[in-house]
Amino acid sequence: MLEVMNTLILKAVLAPLVLFPVAAAVLVFGLLLKGVDRIVVARLQRRVGPPLLQPFFDILKLMSKQSMVPIGAPRTLFLALPMIGACSMCLAIALVPIVGVYEPNGQFGDLIVLLYLLTVPAIVLMLAGSASGSTFGAIGFSREMSLMLAYEGPLLLVLISVAMKTGLAQGDLITFSLMDIVHYQQDNGSFLFDPWMWPAVLAYLSIIPANLGIPPFDIPEAESEVLEGPLCEYSGPALALFKIMSTMKTMVVLALGIVMFIPGNATGMMALIGFVFKCLILFLLTKSLLRASVGRMRIDQAFLFYFKWPELLGIVGLLLVVFKG
Amino acid sequence: MSFLSKVSVRSPWLYRINAGSCNGCDVELATTALIPRYDVERLGCQYCGTPKHADIVLITGPLTARIKDKVLQVYQEIPDPKVTIAVGICPISGGVFRDSYAIEGPIDKYIDVDVNIPGCPPRPQAILEGIAMAIEIWKQRL
Amino acid sequence: MKMLKVLLQNLIKGPSTDPFPFGETFTPKGLRARIRFDETACTGCRMCEHVCAGGAIRFHDSPNGLEFTLWHNTCTFCGLCEHYCVPKAIKLTEDWHLAHKQEDKYTMTETGTVALIQCVQCRKKIIPTSQQLNAVAYKSSNEMIKRLGRMCPDCRRELSTKLLIKGESV
Repeated sequence: MLEVMNTLILKAVLAPLVLFPVAAAVLVFGLLLKGVDRIVVARLQRRVGPPLLQPFFDILKLMSKQSMVPIGAPRTLFLALPMIGACSMCLAIALVPIVGVYEPNGQFGDLIVLLYLLTVPAIVLMLAGSASGSTFGAIGFSREMSLMLAYEGPLLLVLISVAMKTGLAQGDLITFSLMDIVHYQQDNGSFLFDPWMWPAVLAYLSIIPANLGIPPFDIPEAESEVLEGPLCEYSGPALALFKIMSTMKTMVVLALGIVMFIPGNATGMMALIGFVFKCLILFLLTKSLLRASVGRMRIDQAFLFYFKWPELLGIVGLLLVVFKG
Repeated sequence: MSFLSKVSVRSPWLYRINAGSCNGCDVELATTALIPRYDVERLGCQYCGTPKHADIVLITGPLTARIKDKVLQVYQEIPDPKVTIAVGICPISGGVFRDSYAIEGPIDKYIDVDVNIPGCPPRPQAILEGIAMAIEIWKQRL
Repeated sequence: MKMLKVLLQNLIKGPSTDPFPFGETFTPKGLRARIRFDETACTGCRMCEHVCAGGAIRFHDSPNGLEFTLWHNTCTFCGLCEHYCVPKAIKLTEDWHLAHKQEDKYTMTETGTVALIQCVQCRKKIIPTSQQLNAVAYKSSNEMIKRLGRMCPDCRRELSTKLLIKGESV
C-alpha cells in the first residue's frame, strides 16, 4: 500500500514537470539559487559551504526514502496535501510573465488568481501541521496562521497600489492583468525608479522574508532548530514535495516582485540573462544577507512588527497612488 | 548501485539523541556543526530537528534508567536505512558511570550501533572521522 | 549596520575551515589520546588501576608475568594514570584517530606483560625494580643498587640489615 502511495506521489511530482517544461526549468533554477544561497551564507560565516548542487541531492535522497504516515493522522489528507501545494505552485508559475521569455495567456488568470494561489502553500502548510496528529504540528499550525494573518495585509495593499497605478494611468480604476503592468512600465519607466512608489517597494521587500520562511521570520515553516513545526511528521517523497513547493514559491514571489517593479525592456537572450541577474540580486539581498546575520524573532514580535511599519508603508503607498495618480 | 543511491549518499542528515549525557559530547557535536572551523556541511550533512528526517543518528550519554523507554521510542521512529553512531565513551560502555545503579548498561544491549567514537569528549576532528566512516557504511546500505 | 561590516570582513578573509577530512589537520602538543604501556618500566604497584576514573585498567597475575589490559572505550583520557605512575610506564600519546566500527569494539585495547625474574637469593618469582624507577629514586646507579634490585623484598630486607650491622663486607 505504501509503495503504491509512493509511486503516486512520485508521479504527481514528475507529471506537471514533464507536461510543463517552464515549471521544470524554474524548479531547476530555484534549486540552483538555493544552492547559491547556502554557499553564500557559509562564506559570510567564514565556512566552506556544501557543493552547489546540494539541494538537488537533498530532494533526490528524499525521493528514495520511505513515506511514513503517523497513526493519528488522516491518511489521505496527509499524503494529498503536498501534492496540492506543489501543483498550486506549478499553476502559479504559469501565470507570472518573465519579460521577453514567457508571456502567459491572460485568459487563465491574472493578479487575483495569483494572489489566491500564493496563499495556498501557506494554507497547505497549516493543514499539514494540524493533520500530523502531534502537538508539534499543532503549534506549527497556529504559528503559521498568525504569521499569515500578519503579512497578508501589506501584501494585498502593495498589489492593489501597483494595480491601481497602472489602471488609473490607462483610464480604468484598476487593472489586474500582469501583462498590462509590464507594458506600462516598459513605456513609462520602472516603478523602482519612481520615488512615489518607494513605500510600496519597501513594503514588498519586508514581506518577502515572512512569505518565504527566511530568518528572522521563519517561525513556523520547518524551523527545525527550535521546534519541528508543521513538517515534523513528513518524510520521503511527501517531504520532497514540500521542499519543491517552497522552492517554487520563492521563484513565484521573486518573479512577481520583478514584474511589479523592474520588468525591463529586453528580449531574447538578454532578457533571460537580465531575469537571472535580477533574481540573483533580489534573492541575495533578502535571503542570504538576512539569514547569515540575524536570529529568529518570536511569533508575537513578528506579528506586531507586521502591523506597524509594513502596514504603514503599504497604506502610504496606496494613498500616494490614489491621490497622486 | 543505482543512480538514486549514488546521489542520495551525498546528503546524509544527522539527528542527535541525548540519552542522559552530561552534555560534554553534545557541546562537541554542536561545535562540529556550527563553528566555522569544523564545518560538517562540506560533507552535505545537515542537522534536522525531527527523527523522521534523519539518516545518521548520533547518540550521546549512558542510557539512564529514566530515559531508556523514551530513547527507544524515538529510535524506532527513525526510518530505515539508518546508521547509528555512539559518540563518547558513555554509550559504548557506560563511561565513568559504568557500575552505577542508574545506568541501564551500554547502548548496544538495546540498539544496533555501527560506529563508535571513544573520547571524553572526543575531539571534533575525531567526530568528523566517525561521521565519514558512517557515511561509507550508509552507502552500502542504501 | 555593524553587522554588514562584519559580513564584508568575513567575505574578504575567506573561510577559516580546517581542511580535515579532506586534508591534514593539526594536533596540539600534549594532547591526551591513545595510551602506550612500557612493560619494561612497570613495577606492578597498581596505582594506575586504583586511580583510573573509568575503570579501564585491569591487572591479572599469570605464570608469564603481570598482565596489563587497558580498554580504550572506557578510558576518559584524564591522564591520572600517567600522573601517578612513578617510573612513567604508562603514557598518553597524541594519536587521536580512535573512531572504529562496532566489530572492533573489544579490540581497542592496550596490553602488556611485565616479565618476572627469579630472586637471586631465594628463587622466588618477583617483578624487578625497573631502571626507570631507579633513575627517579637515586641520583646515579651503582653495583649495590643493581644487586638489591634483583632480590625479592624479604631478601632485600635481610641483606640491608646485615649491611647495616656488619658493614660492606657482606
